[in-house]
Amino acid sequence: MKRLIALFIAATLALAGCGATDETAPVSDDVITLRIANSEEYIDEGGWYADETIELADGQKIRGVDSLVSDYEKWYQEKYGKRVRVLYSTYGTNEDLYNQMTLGNSFDLVCPSEYMIMKLMREKKLEPLSREFYDTDHRYNYYAKGISPYIYRRMEALTEGSEPLTDYAAGYMWGTLGTVYNPAVVSDEDASSYGIYLNRKYRKRITIKDSVRDTYFAGLAIEKEKELAAADPDYATILNDTSQTTVDKVQDIITDMRENAYSMETDTAKQDLVTRKADASLQWSGDGVFSMDQAEEDGLDLCYAVPEEGSNLWFDGWVMLKNGINGDKDKKQAAEAFINYISKPDSVVRNMYYIGYTSAITGGDDDTVFEYLEYTYGSDDDDAVDYDVSYLFDDRPGSHVLRTDRAQLKRQLYAQYPTEDVLARCAVMKCFSDEANRRISQMWTNVRCYRFPWER
Amino acid sequence: MKFKRSMLGIPYVVFLVIFVLLPLAVVFVFAFTDGSGRFTFQNFLGFFRSSRTIATLVYSLFVALVTTVICLLIAYPTAMALARSGFRRKNILLLMAIVPMWINFTLRVTALKEVLDAIEGNLAYHPFLNTIIGQVYDFLPFMILPLFNVLDEMDVSLIEAGRDLGADRRSLFFSVILPLSKPGIMSGITMVFLPAMTNYVVLDMLYNSTYIMGSLIGSYFNAYDWHNGSMISAILLLIIVLFSMLEKKGAAR
Repeated sequence: MKRLIALFIAATLALAGCGATDETAPVSDDVITLRIANSEEYIDEGGWYADETIELADGQKIRGVDSLVSDYEKWYQEKYGKRVRVLYSTYGTNEDLYNQMTLGNSFDLVCPSEYMIMKLMREKKLEPLSREFYDTDHRYNYYAKGISPYIYRRMEALTEGSEPLTDYAAGYMWGTLGTVYNPAVVSDEDASSYGIYLNRKYRKRITIKDSVRDTYFAGLAIEKEKELAAADPDYATILNDTSQTTVDKVQDIITDMRENAYSMETDTAKQDLVTRKADASLQWSGDGVFSMDQAEEDGLDLCYAVPEEGSNLWFDGWVMLKNGINGDKDKKQAAEAFINYISKPDSVVRNMYYIGYTSAITGGDDDTVFEYLEYTYGSDDDDAVDYDVSYLFDDRPGSHVLRTDRAQLKRQLYAQYPTEDVLARCAVMKCFSDEANRRISQMWTNVRCYRFPWER
Repeated sequence: MKFKRSMLGIPYVVFLVIFVLLPLAVVFVFAFTDGSGRFTFQNFLGFFRSSRTIATLVYSLFVALVTTVICLLIAYPTAMALARSGFRRKNILLLMAIVPMWINFTLRVTALKEVLDAIEGNLAYHPFLNTIIGQVYDFLPFMILPLFNVLDEMDVSLIEAGRDLGADRRSLFFSVILPLSKPGIMSGITMVFLPAMTNYVVLDMLYNSTYIMGSLIGSYFNAYDWHNGSMISAILLLIIVLFSMLEKKGAAR
């Protein structure tokens, strides 16, 4: 029986040992451990088939064989002569990440959305990017050299306190909020307004997001319809209104939207569009691209529209956490090198192909990203049209014009790389104050909870 | 150290403390504190003052009640038929009732969604019906199993005795079989009713987007409101405790 107890103790110790290897394995001094957390399926994980290889016009061949994370480890050792080990983990939503961090999980580098970055800035949890990070003369500073000047300016315009977001965050992916619709059933005109979500013509044939912020945004745009239609509206102020009167009005609108909707979903819209259960759905541009790709495989053409009233420009960015980096210069350097590595033009292409979202990196002097666009959307047909995305790539007008199919003006290309006028009517939805958050979450509870018949 | 039999319980005690007691303590600490960590009853008072949250509680109880009753109505005859069938067939038939449980839950509900869609045309018009169908589909095996166990092990001689004493089929069922199967009914109800109150995944997947208690917890946590989220969890726990006390009383009688 003593043996049994010994066995039990041994087993416990062994188990405890297993648990420990993840966190505090005996690491020699020259290995840097980098704890990275990112959304699920939000980085190229490799494993592409040979026929997926992207062959660009300049002869460059890009294929994700291994994951970008392990490629980074190799690259770092090669370029900096130091070993780095990445402990990579994933989370579901920004709120999950925040809760994990509050529960005591520490990370060095994470990739939340803009409003969460602002929240973390407000709580002084972020480590600023170093001055060297933005030095464009440095050979491996792919981020500084490649970031889209337009996206950089939009990020810089966002401030928390007196500090711009760009002091802390490196842009990763960005996009808009819009409507994916089936053009066989829904007219372009109907799809180009948030009004579609209240339109009885599509009763129980549209989906909205089961997420407070996104659906609040759509409801807010409907409520502010008139103000947004005025000449030269102040999108950023109007689309960040969280006053009690506005929230109350939006509550009624969302209640109606919910009544009119087929479902409130988090990731089933794609499926429902393809199986024709829904005709239109509120979606992020990146998911929209994915939906359109999937539907195409099933022989169904879907389109994407960014509502005329205005839309949400969102982006996710890499930020370093103060308590993770903890003053360790080597670690900070490795974390910034990671951002640079995934901002390398070929990494950007791999990520965009794998994830379907739009990278904040346009490549600067390097044409790889634009060539990837041509590879994906370019067309030599006689009826091909010009599509100007110069504003994203550099500030010279007419420098980046794509020849593409006319259909792409309403489809993947338009979703992934919208034209300048679209982004002009987009506002970033900021991080709300605690009080506003409470108001909005109470509003959401009111919409979602059961009502007694006598209260209706 | 001398070995005692009670030592065999150590692994379970360790498990209990780490995975049951500690989390529960955390839940209660959060439920009874406010944002600045001070003790408060405000979370609970807020719950009982808001007609929204009370309505959610009532709605959850109603969904769970309907689910349980329908499960019972379907499971009892099924379990009875299973228990009464010949020995060889019995296990195969039971297996057929259990096999769906081996398939991944999400997959099953997705399949159910397609079936319902084919029948109803548009799921969105029948949210409550879909909820109940989904819940019953999900929980039925949990009702069949305990009922089957009781009915299968029931002493046949008691039924024969009842018949010898002149009971017709009706009174045989109501005065002999039903009372004898009460433990099975009770554990079946426990296994269906309580989870049905919180199982919001089925609801979300079948598109009835009305919150039940489980979804309310999630929504509070998403708004960084751990205190109210924990408060709802504590209330659910209270309901479970009340329920099992009632059940014990019922079983003792």
